[in-house]
Amino acid sequence: MAALVLPAGILVALLLVAPMVLLFRISLNEFSPTQMMVEATTAANYLRAVGDPYYRSVLLTTLAVALGSTLLALTLGFPAAYWLARMQSRWKSLATIVVLFPLLVGNVVRAAGWLALLGNGGAINATLLGIGVIAAPLPLIYNTGAVVAGIVAVVLPYMVLTLAAVIEGIPRQVEEAASNMGAKPFTVFRRVVLPLALPGVAAGSVLVFVLCMNTYATAVLLGGPRFKMMAPAVYDQFVRGNNWPFGAALAFILLTITLVLTVFGSAALGRRYRRRLAEETT
Amino acid sequence: MTGAATLRRLPFRLLVLAAFALMLAPVATVMTISVFRDEIVSFPPTGLTLDWYVNAWARREFARGFVTSLQVAALATCIGVPLGTAAAYALVRARLTGAQAISTLLLAPLAVPAVVAGTALYMFYLRAEFWLDRDITSTLEGLVAAHVLLTIPWTVRLVTASLQGMDRAAEEAAANLGARPFTVFRRVTLPAMRPGIIAASLFSFIQSFENLELSLLLVGPGRTTLPVAMLNYLEFRVDPTLAAVATVQILLVAILMLVTDRFVSIARTV
Repeated sequence: MAALVLPAGILVALLLVAPMVLLFRISLNEFSPTQMMVEATTAANYLRAVGDPYYRSVLLTTLAVALGSTLLALTLGFPAAYWLARMQSRWKSLATIVVLFPLLVGNVVRAAGWLALLGNGGAINATLLGIGVIAAPLPLIYNTGAVVAGIVAVVLPYMVLTLAAVIEGIPRQVEEAASNMGAKPFTVFRRVVLPLALPGVAAGSVLVFVLCMNTYATAVLLGGPRFKMMAPAVYDQFVRGNNWPFGAALAFILLTITLVLTVFGSAALGRRYRRRLAEETT
Repeated sequence: MTGAATLRRLPFRLLVLAAFALMLAPVATVMTISVFRDEIVSFPPTGLTLDWYVNAWARREFARGFVTSLQVAALATCIGVPLGTAAAYALVRARLTGAQAISTLLLAPLAVPAVVAGTALYMFYLRAEFWLDRDITSTLEGLVAAHVLLTIPWTVRLVTASLQGMDRAAEEAAANLGARPFTVFRRVTLPAMRPGIIAASLFSFIQSFENLELSLLLVGPGRTTLPVAMLNYLEFRVDPTLAAVATVQILLVAILMLVTDRFVSIARTV
């Protein structure tokens, strides 16, 4: 029976692990404008990625956008998840499907939707121009705000579904007890619901943060040519720059930073949750 | 009581509304614009039309992209779901040493950025082409193999969940009543895994169909997937023709979800 795991395991090892090892090897090579790539073992690509002000700013933009989007998604996602989890009518499964639907529709389609809504000839500008409120289209697109809105919309379903699953496990009686003893709704939320939902907050935020760090389509389409995040920068090195070793180094920097931050983040949130539990029980 | 009290508060309602608006606005806009008559969007429109759908199908990159994406998604699902199901079964039932590590490996395709995995795979394919002396990048096989990678983690996750929720007493009862091991599997275990397998097929198909990042470097001239064709078009403009293509994808996903929901409750599998 144990052999049943082999086909899938071998496939992932062959199509993911082996290529990643190869990519790491390539990141240690040297780039040559004439021969493209020269076998070497050098950290030069990594040093250049960290030292070059342009790539440092790309990395900082990526981190700032990812953190901001994660926090926004949490702020907007928590109420929606609570609403969904506490819903009792027969509309609940419909509401769940409505949350799941945009997730399954795909990033490119949703980015197209934002372009159609926010673009210079998009729905909002066309309406405002039509009723004569503005004389020239508002610059709603090709800026950081548009990218963040696009990313938050992409990751919200993941956040809402993850949080809703955890909130459903919190007994209503706990909330009722707190409010019967005189706690205001916001106090109930802050002192009872939020602490108990912390594992969901951790799981949802980590998942969403990883997705934000790896944003490609939303950044390319809503950010415009001058806005750069890490994933598009990696792709550009392979397609436009043809500097494979440097592109590979950028890919591993993105991967490592995401991994380290998610491990630290979930560890920190987990510690807080356990401390909270210990306080409650003593 | 308190739940209801919180739910009635205005700030809370506004946040819920904002979350749903943000999730649904792009989908609603693109569907609306696809039936406007004017090529340059204006409100209110001068009229409604379905011409953009005809126009979209007439553009070869979209028609062929649609067919290629359907092919790739169908093949990847047919390969990945059985493999993932077998692995999930072994992970839950066989007492494997290092089950945790194996499960991490099988879920890893979700953790690695798709653009990074795609470039790594592209480099790997180029190396393999050199060794094997045959084309792999920009072939259907190469693309399908990459997309199988997307289907495995979803399948493992969903089928594992359905197996863990199952009561093993039913299997023991069947065995005690004289059913052979294979009969127990076919008549008791497999039906219990069914919702997981159906949901995994839906998710795998859609994940593959809408995937952009993994395919970017692996598509070739004449063999572009629909999301890549849409991205190439969108880098220059967004117009009703593209909105029509996007709407077709939205409708396809909606139909698949509704059909699947008749067999298993999607809301309960996620």
